[in-house]
Amino acid sequence: MKTLVLKLKNFLQLIKEKEGGFKEYYRTHKVRINRVISQIFVYIFLITIAYVFVYPVMKMISISFMSSSDLVNPEVIWIPRQFSFNNYGVAWRVLNGKESLFNSIKYSTLLAVLQTVISAVTGFAFARYEFRGKKVLYTILLLSFIIPVPILLITQYNMFSNFYTEIGRIGAGKGLYTYESQIVMALFGQGVNSAILILIFVNFFKMIPNDLYEAGKIDGANPLQLFWHITIKLSLSTIVVVFLFSFVWNWNEAYVTDFFVGDGIDLFTNQLGKFDSLFGTRASEGRTEGDALQLVESFKMAATVISIIPLLILYFVGQKSFVEGIEKTGITGE
Amino acid sequence: MAKKNMVKTLTNVSTIENQNKIAYLFILPWLLGFLAFVIYPFFHTIYNTAFHITTEANNLVYVFNLMEHGGNFGTAFRNLYFFPQLLDFIVMEVTYVPTIIIVAFILALLLNTGNKGQSTFRVIYFFPVIIMSGPVAGILRYNGAGSLFDYVNNIIFKMLVSFSPRFASALSDLFANFTMVLWFTGIPIILFINALQKINTNLYEAAKIDGASSWQILWKIKVPIVKSTGFIVSIFTIVQIGTYALNPIYNTIKNSIYDTAAGIGLASTFAFIYTVTVFTLVGLAYLLLGREAKSKVIHLSSIQKASLEAVHLKRQSKNKRTVNES
Repeated sequence: MKTLVLKLKNFLQLIKEKEGGFKEYYRTHKVRINRVISQIFVYIFLITIAYVFVYPVMKMISISFMSSSDLVNPEVIWIPRQFSFNNYGVAWRVLNGKESLFNSIKYSTLLAVLQTVISAVTGFAFARYEFRGKKVLYTILLLSFIIPVPILLITQYNMFSNFYTEIGRIGAGKGLYTYESQIVMALFGQGVNSAILILIFVNFFKMIPNDLYEAGKIDGANPLQLFWHITIKLSLSTIVVVFLFSFVWNWNEAYVTDFFVGDGIDLFTNQLGKFDSLFGTRASEGRTEGDALQLVESFKMAATVISIIPLLILYFVGQKSFVEGIEKTGITGE
Repeated sequence: MAKKNMVKTLTNVSTIENQNKIAYLFILPWLLGFLAFVIYPFFHTIYNTAFHITTEANNLVYVFNLMEHGGNFGTAFRNLYFFPQLLDFIVMEVTYVPTIIIVAFILALLLNTGNKGQSTFRVIYFFPVIIMSGPVAGILRYNGAGSLFDYVNNIIFKMLVSFSPRFASALSDLFANFTMVLWFTGIPIILFINALQKINTNLYEAAKIDGASSWQILWKIKVPIVKSTGFIVSIFTIVQIGTYALNPIYNTIKNSIYDTAAGIGLASTFAFIYTVTVFTLVGLAYLLLGREAKSKVIHLSSIQKASLEAVHLKRQSKNKRTVNES
């Protein structure tokens, strides 16, 4: 910082000593000065927008550490007077932390693996083969993306509900109390945003040079070997991208899960969704101090932070895959 | 014999025949799933709309009721919550989607200038895609963390309220959730950057030589080329906002499914009307952005042609003269 100020001083001195002062300097360096000024404006704009993006999360983290007195204190805006880590303990208890974390990871991983495998297989067929009805099927695949979930969900729910009743497993009340229905749907390529995942694979597989397949065929490889030894082994990075997206989308999916799982399994998303009602029963110790309503807010924020931490870790580890994955595989849709 | 077979498999015709069957095998799971979990539910739900459906002893009982007071559609129209919510949803889409497209395009333009730190900004702009789930968005919105500006006391806003309360409320909703709106731009920004990077830079050079300003380059080159991506982005955004768990209609449909008195028929009708609305919005986006721009063919009258030719001839003779003089 000091060197920067010194540099600026020297620079100003230099300009003053020159003939004609600022005006002359501006005349001779017009393009460059204009460029620098526009750069500065662009950066200010980008940083402002970045602030707006991050603001809710920073606010959330800030509130999650506040004690009840900090919450009502108007002087405390960002940094709490005393950090109350206790909030996280209570939030963890209310979320049924251990079990929810385990379940969320388990089911998201399972669904993501199934979705990735089935999308790769389907994408392979669309990318590498010519067959009757291909164009129609591909168009249908793309169109299926815009069908709203509720219109499908009503009948899907009834189908599974009937099926479970028939085999003698009756789910009482809301939800079917099991993840199996979603697993079955993922197994048949109809999970969350499956169309996009298939599209990513199709676009990537099309880029693999045909010569490799020709060489494989001449060496006597069957289609399954072509799929495994050439396609899959060449597209590991894309597989990672698809898996990550699928994982995140399955983790965040709340609407469909609410129907099929209901109260049956504790997951971060559904625990967070009914945080208020769970709070009374699970966080009895938390309520002894201070204003209960205010407390709920910072507990809630702490719970939200807990539930997004796994995703944030995933994002910062696989950040390149996420951003470049969308770019390279191009859902740009040519 | 073996040689003959090998030659046969290497010729085009036989390989394509082989590929056909194998391709169906690869596609089979998806196709089955699609038939069972998309096609059948889609049409069955539409079929449901004509019936009053009740559960008796774990069996669904269908009673045709389309003829009495408009059946489920009549009930849906008379429902106190559904249509206002549908209207809210349409207003939300109509205000959010253009905002998201424009903001994403501007940010993509700024990020595509090759400034330093571009990738850092991209990482920041993309991260909401990762954490945005219904409950998280709901909690952030409920606690007002999504709003930044104190717009209510703004004088321009007050003028708007007196001018048109409906418009003002739509606008205030946009501002109140401005951060949430920005959070939708993560994927659109990347798609736009991708499209911008694919533009051949020779086009810019050519335009600059012809004396185009950067403003003209933006409007005459970048915007028309990126328009098709804009269509993809608009569809993506329409769908995303639909699945946004704060979408009021989702909860209405959810509650009506569990409502045993009204039955699944009514829920199906809600879902059907909602689907039609979404399709209409997508169609609207197609009309606005999706169609390829036709190159204009100008028909000239004979007089115009003649005058143009005259001008052309004049120029040519002038050029010749200058060449001769030099």
